[in-house]
Amino acid sequence: MPILGFIGARIGVALFTMFVVSLIVFIAMHLLPGGFEQIILGPIQTQATRDAITNEFGLDAPIAEQFVKWAIAVLHGDFGVSMITRTPVAAELVRRAPATLQLAAMSIFTTLVVGLPLGIASGIGDTRRSVRVGARLLGALGASTPDFVLGTILVYVFSVWALGLTVGGYAPFLENPIANLRAMALPTLTLSVPGIALVLRTTRESVLNVMTSGHITTAVSRGESPSQIVRRHILRNASLPILTVTTMYLGALMGGSVIVETLFTIPGIGLYTWNALNNRDYQVTESAVLIFSILLVAVNMCVDIAYALLDPRIQGRRS
Amino acid sequence: MSEFVVASDLAIEYRTPRGAVRALDGADLRVAAGASMGLVGESGSGKTTLGMAMGRLLPSNARRVAGSLSVGSQSLFDLDDDGVASLRRRQLGFVFQNPMSALNPTARIGKQIGWALERKANQREIHERLQQVGLRDVPRVAHAYPHELSGGMAQRVVIAMAIARRPRLLVADEPTASLDASVRGQILELIKSLQREIGATLILLSHELSMVARTCDVVGVMYGGRVVEAGPASIVFNAPLHPYTQALLKAAPGAERPGERLTAIPGMPPVLIAASVGCSFAARCHLADETCRRTRPEVRHLPDRQVACHHIEAASPRGGAGALDPS
Amino acid sequence: MDAGRNSILSQCSKAMRADPLMAIAAGVLALLLCVGVLGPLLPIGDPTAIGIGPRLAPPSPAFPLGSDELGRSFLPRVVGGILVTFQVAATAVLLTGALGAVIGLIAAYYRGRVDTIVARLADALFAFPAIILGLMTASILGPGDLSVIVVIVAATLPLFIRVVRSVALSIASREFVTAAEVAGASPVRIMAMHMLPNLMGALIIQFTYALSLGMLIESGLSFLGLGTQPPYPSLGSLLQLGATYLAIAPWLVFAPGVTLALTILAINLLGDGLRHAIDPLPGRALK
Repeated sequence: MPILGFIGARIGVALFTMFVVSLIVFIAMHLLPGGFEQIILGPIQTQATRDAITNEFGLDAPIAEQFVKWAIAVLHGDFGVSMITRTPVAAELVRRAPATLQLAAMSIFTTLVVGLPLGIASGIGDTRRSVRVGARLLGALGASTPDFVLGTILVYVFSVWALGLTVGGYAPFLENPIANLRAMALPTLTLSVPGIALVLRTTRESVLNVMTSGHITTAVSRGESPSQIVRRHILRNASLPILTVTTMYLGALMGGSVIVETLFTIPGIGLYTWNALNNRDYQVTESAVLIFSILLVAVNMCVDIAYALLDPRIQGRRS
Repeated sequence: MSEFVVASDLAIEYRTPRGAVRALDGADLRVAAGASMGLVGESGSGKTTLGMAMGRLLPSNARRVAGSLSVGSQSLFDLDDDGVASLRRRQLGFVFQNPMSALNPTARIGKQIGWALERKANQREIHERLQQVGLRDVPRVAHAYPHELSGGMAQRVVIAMAIARRPRLLVADEPTASLDASVRGQILELIKSLQREIGATLILLSHELSMVARTCDVVGVMYGGRVVEAGPASIVFNAPLHPYTQALLKAAPGAERPGERLTAIPGMPPVLIAASVGCSFAARCHLADETCRRTRPEVRHLPDRQVACHHIEAASPRGGAGALDPS
Repeated sequence: MDAGRNSILSQCSKAMRADPLMAIAAGVLALLLCVGVLGPLLPIGDPTAIGIGPRLAPPSPAFPLGSDELGRSFLPRVVGGILVTFQVAATAVLLTGALGAVIGLIAAYYRGRVDTIVARLADALFAFPAIILGLMTASILGPGDLSVIVVIVAATLPLFIRVVRSVALSIASREFVTAAEVAGASPVRIMAMHMLPNLMGALIIQFTYALSLGMLIESGLSFLGLGTQPPYPSLGSLLQLGATYLAIAPWLVFAPGVTLALTILAINLLGDGLRHAIDPLPGRALK
């Protein structure tokens, strides 16, 4: 089946991209001014100490060799050691991953569950002008408010009127579900609002686009019921732009997690990264950037494949 | 003979940001059951609106402002949404101009035929339907996606879907316009033979007189949102009474003698923003006088046809030179 | 080419008349910009003058937006903040626009492998979230305006390339380009004289979206401390400072927050309106 070849090609491209990305991250961190070497070695005066450190981090080896060593270590799950805390980065990342993943999952879920139906409904329905303009305004507002602005406002609002939700006070879900949800509600809300606005707008436009295409007219002329039309024609045909937008949103989520975890004191990868950056802990920053990038490439690859599965016209073309 | 489609002084407007546009301005039409009628007219004459109105397939900014339309004794504009859907499902079949945009690009042909049949159809039945419209290598077609077919093949699929439930009324809106010249004849033949086979009434919309003459028993000529002349094709084309019909025939290529010039009709068709005062063809008609400009011509039902003109006695039928052979 | 420019302008004004929301947005934007540009000249106070008033005072006639933790009047700081955020974003986006247009035109003109490579690279670049890019850039170049500009350019370049590419590709295949080629015009001439004017509409629309994205990025990075450094105010860094005093001086957060949101909203609405005017949705749905 040609689809298998397509998937294989996509995976190959993704792996290659990941390699290129890791190369770029490594080079950026190590070679350019202000990078690894200068920061570590710069302030050190005595030659002996410099030599010791150079040896410890293997900085005198040729760059290619450094890269290979680093790449191999990474593939084995060894992300080095935090320069501040002297603990393995990998272990810390694993410890903090659940919080970030939960935040991401809840945000995506909320975004899609709220945004998709609203978008479809507003695309299909015949709405009055005032409702349309209102929705447009709200959607634009949701998309224009930066997450840190919304987050900060939410922090303020909910510190004055608690409503049972907390800022901070995170506990792992399995230990204390109530406390967990109370702490995660606001960050999820902050991250979801721009997502909902984006998904709603894209879904609506995509549905409108499909609605005006010829095969909907044909379906109507056959007397198909509205639910049949949505199921058979609209969902599959309108889903492509929605997929694109979800990918964009996932990318924004990764960046947003840094901001939101900081604001709401959620001990996830984002907060870890931000602390590391402020403390000039390069090992951690580099690892975090690498992880995010790899994830992104993987997600993009999955979306590409999903695209091809949904729209048979794409399979026919050479990628 | 019972009349299956009856339009009575039907007027339909579209609301656009720049004001209302009147697509139909009092259209009268009667089509007998089982007949094949061709509706002829330039773009903007209202024929598409009339054809689509028979299934109430009008865009959301369309409004019926006067008159009535009934299909199979059901008054279209009085039905509720379920009633219309039911009518479409059981009695109507539509074939549109562009087959590629009429088919869902993400579903295989076989599946789409299944949709048209409205029940779980097995593979054999789907293949039969595809064979019925003259497609060969049916298993491959059933498994294919629309973009893998040629225009002609796709249109055959659309036709198969339209007649799947043996509709009583088949409306074809310029079904060959986007097809190669070589397959046009075949598609028309197919539509005609299928119509006869299921005993449906056919309404063919076209701007090509020759196509209508070849395919249809009855013809209706539309101008300015009205049916200006309608009757059996042989009579209307050989002895047209309405000046517009006469002018159309003179302007149509096909039967002129070598060296003879085609006479184009001077001027442009009107875009109506309200009910027309007087006859909408008056501006381009060589017989026009004050009556024509001031008073709307009523539809006159003569023994052999209907005409809407003040001067049918004066207009001597100039059949001969422009007549098309409707055989 | 004069006819081209005229029609863009007339299209814009026609759009404004038809869509009041967009006109309001444009008005708000113009107002904000004027205030920002004229800021230093307006009698609203000095954004960097420390200690001229009580610390963390709520809004009052003397201090229309209250005062911050160093006793500075907040109003001029917010005004300065708008200006800085906008300046940085606009500079970056202008750069990106020029760069993106050039790259896109080259890709569309030469087509083939050049085009595929450019498209792939653009997609890869676009996939990177801005904050992550910001982290990387800041750790290399150090925090500051330059870092932010680099990130904005990287984040918005794919947008421009994509748009320019698709419009140019559709133009490239039209006859008048072929005619010019046959007549022996050089590639640069063809690109400049024939392709560019037709792109103007699409470019302007992309411009507004890129601008709003740029402002989002700038303020986001400033919020994290990676952008504009003190004492120059940026809406993002003002928010960050204000966040620490949230409980006792909420105006320090609301003022820059609301201003930021409104500005970006205005830009987005403007872009939306322009897009609907120049490229409305096709067809109409059935009842």
